[in-house]
Amino acid sequence: MGIRLFFIGLIVTALAGGGFYVMKLQKDNAILKANAIKLESAISDQKTLIENQKKDFESILTANKEMNDLIGKLKTDFADLDKRFNKKNRDVGLLAIQKTKAIERITNSASVKANRCIEIASGSPLTEKEINATKKSEINTECPSIANPNYIPY
Amino acid sequence: MEQLQWHIITSENAAEVFAKLEADGIDPVLWGLTDKDFELLAKNFAQIRNKLMETNALLDKYKEYYESETEKDEQK
Repeated sequence: MGIRLFFIGLIVTALAGGGFYVMKLQKDNAILKANAIKLESAISDQKTLIENQKKDFESILTANKEMNDLIGKLKTDFADLDKRFNKKNRDVGLLAIQKTKAIERITNSASVKANRCIEIASGSPLTEKEINATKKSEINTECPSIANPNYIPY
Repeated sequence: MEQLQWHIITSENAAEVFAKLEADGIDPVLWGLTDKDFELLAKNFAQIRNKLMETNALLDKYKEYYESETEKDEQK
């Protein structure tokens, strides 16, 4: 009788232990599943972050390139201005003595154009005439790079 | 911008220029620059213009960048 009870107790204990073990496994499994979901979500967030950083980097590179292009064009305009004064040892002072009225007219015309350049640089929108200018006779010679986007020097 | 009038004065036309100013009712007085200083003034003007253009372009790029970020945030 005692031995039978002992075995029954043993079987009940084994069953209860097995039951608890299965329950523990299920609980662990649930935790692992929750962790896996969290990890997947974190990976997805990281991927989005990397994508955004890539886009940011590309847009910064593009902006930098555009800025460098603009600075290059402005330097060309400035070099052209220098050429106008000093091309082939030109002496503007001497020219002004020899052709006073003509140089005065040219100076005043350039002054009007230079004023317009400042207006454009300050944000004034381009006129249709400025946008459509493609010939040397139509452009603002003081700053064609910003005043006449469709003009290609020839 | 206001337009201004340049007068070129040489030793030969100085009297004529001042006489014309008086005839036009303008005070016969002028602020003068030598040809070299005029060249420097033109170059200074061009440098200011270029700097203005650069600064405005830079500002536009920042605006473009940050405003598009704000739009993205608003969409979220």
